[in-house]
Amino acid sequence: MSHAASDTVSGALARNRLGAVAVMFIVLAAAAPLTVVGAGVAIAFAVLGVIGIPVAYLVVAVVLAVFAVGFVAMSRRIVNAGAFYTYVTHGLGRPAGVAAAMVALLAYSAMQCALYGGVGLILASFVGGPFPWWAYALLVWMLIAVLGQLRVDVNGRILAVLLLAEITILIIYNAVMLTHPADGQISFAALSPSHIVTAGSGAALVAAITGFVGFEGTVVFAEESKDPRRTVARATYAALTVTGVLYALSAWAMTVATGPDNIVEAARSTDTDLIFALVAPHVAPIFVTVGLTLIITSLIAAVGAFHNTLTRYGYALGRERVLPAMFQRTNTTTGAPYVSSLAQSGLALCVIIVVAMVSDDPMLHLFFWGATTGGAGVLILMTVTSYAVVSFFARHRREETLWRARIAPVIASIVLTGILAAALADFDVLLGVAPDSPLRWVFPGAYGVAALVGVVWAMVLRATKPDIYATIGRGANVDTHRTASPSPVTQPV
Amino acid sequence: MNFPPPSGATDPTPRQHVATSRAIGRAPVSSIPEHLANEFFFAGHDDRTGKPLLHPAALTLGLAAALLAELHGAGRITFDDGDVRVTNPRPPQDQLQTLVDRLITEGHTQTRTWLAFVATSAYDHVAGRMSQLGLVQPQSSGLLRRGKRYAPTDPNKAFWAWARLSMPLSSFKPLDRADVPLASLVWATGLHTRVLQFAPGGTTAFLEQQVQRADPVLRNLVDDLRAAVGDAVLCRTS
Repeated sequence: MSHAASDTVSGALARNRLGAVAVMFIVLAAAAPLTVVGAGVAIAFAVLGVIGIPVAYLVVAVVLAVFAVGFVAMSRRIVNAGAFYTYVTHGLGRPAGVAAAMVALLAYSAMQCALYGGVGLILASFVGGPFPWWAYALLVWMLIAVLGQLRVDVNGRILAVLLLAEITILIIYNAVMLTHPADGQISFAALSPSHIVTAGSGAALVAAITGFVGFEGTVVFAEESKDPRRTVARATYAALTVTGVLYALSAWAMTVATGPDNIVEAARSTDTDLIFALVAPHVAPIFVTVGLTLIITSLIAAVGAFHNTLTRYGYALGRERVLPAMFQRTNTTTGAPYVSSLAQSGLALCVIIVVAMVSDDPMLHLFFWGATTGGAGVLILMTVTSYAVVSFFARHRREETLWRARIAPVIASIVLTGILAAALADFDVLLGVAPDSPLRWVFPGAYGVAALVGVVWAMVLRATKPDIYATIGRGANVDTHRTASPSPVTQPV
Repeated sequence: MNFPPPSGATDPTPRQHVATSRAIGRAPVSSIPEHLANEFFFAGHDDRTGKPLLHPAALTLGLAAALLAELHGAGRITFDDGDVRVTNPRPPQDQLQTLVDRLITEGHTQTRTWLAFVATSAYDHVAGRMSQLGLVQPQSSGLLRRGKRYAPTDPNKAFWAWARLSMPLSSFKPLDRADVPLASLVWATGLHTRVLQFAPGGTTAFLEQQVQRADPVLRNLVDDLRAAVGDAVLCRTS
């Protein structure tokens, strides 16, 4: 549909919609950059025992940008574009779609539970006092559960201010670390491309992908952005660039501050306090306090974002009746999908309680295992989605360019498959367990089970409820018999 | 949401508007009540205080759908699998029509676009129209009395919008045919969970059966409304 330059309808509708910067802030809040650098990077150095973490972040940013080309292009063509399983449904069929939905629920749940653990542990070490980590985790859990029920979204401007503060403090920390190198000179050893082909690189790449999870949220706004053709793409690439550069720079700066040969040892001895331990001798204490405070707010924002993502998946699947219909129930006055929200709050509560009872190292067992397993799940989803994009555009190329419809998706499929294979081979390194530990198969195996459950459930639906089977992947559009996006109105240029 | 004051000033002759829309156009093509939007406005607010019972996106989209359904009832537009078709391009001049004219002139045919655009001013339009008719009374509300609510002047009349649905549905009696359009809007916006909150189990399934009785053109509009409300739940931007 083409519109005249004087398209006042589009202009009026665009006024209430989001621009690229707003979308970028929303997804960066989910990525929680300070948490990734403050806790994720340090623990990745410690557990994986490799120094190539900075270059892994750069490689992953580029790979995800190539993946995003086809992903964003396809998001404009389908309804319910906010969920990976929709792409898989359109590209690879409904059984694969339901399998992807189950994998997504598991992956994002793992991520959310990991963040509850992380925020509990960091709050416990920051505040101190008589309470164990799980008490703080439950406090944050309660906050998120209540906000989810009331559907009180943290104001976008507050998120933006916190995010800018996080980025600013990271830049200050990086400047401090780079101006105080360990041996008196700056070493570029950790940025050597050779690290991505060494042992443990698969694990490093998954740990890096974990830091980017949330960027895929831009497509949620495909139909609600000012200019669907450009806003989502710009926001996606901007988010990947900001986080990619920031993560790589910060991880590299840490190796400079400790010396590349000492980073693993330093990370193992300080745990999540690494970056603060490195800058503390050189800055006023207030900078460390501000950093620790921001890491907590960033974790809370991130856990809220994952809560929203999971609530959306539950609601959309409830609308399609792939999950029980009760998941589509919303509160009339707030619009909150309260059943979906409650269901995953309940699940997270169980996980926190179980880990609190059985684990002696929740930082490893809940935060790192949960986050990396979640990251691995999102890697699986992105890999399958990239195949779906290739398959979709093989049938519906229409006016997309060759690069968007064919070349980029094919490259993304091949590279993501390679990373996934390397990750599976390295899963023992990723978890920090012995090579013969059954755990290295249990975690990825859980996704296999989830996918199998999805395929079987899709088959059952096809046999017993063909009308429900037919609407898989349509989300809120189950009644409209439409799978193509209602070509949202574009803003006049 | 910010509810601005009634826009009566821009719509000085509501009674005339009502009469005009009745006179002009072909004979009604379906049994859509002439004031469906007023009925939905009553259903979507507390019958005494005028407090909204629905979240803003569902309320404004529901009112927009009601206004578009009124236009359909007056034989001016029809809905066809996600698209709007104009059946009578010479409608009366009222505030709603200026919106419709813009949609037509600028070549927008998708029902979702029409819903979204009409929703931007549907609340003011309907509240203004009802104020002019003396059905609601604007009142200050909320913290610092800066908000605006429209309290029904006759709570019984407002309550009737609920009662005519909840009474038959609660006893599993088929709805009056004239009430099916309102029931469809209530269902598509999710308001039925309030209207039927004290009704016995299985009432919602019965309501869904009743909604199926609506004429196919209206069903088309209602399906798009339900999708729009659902997408608003999935992607809240305000």
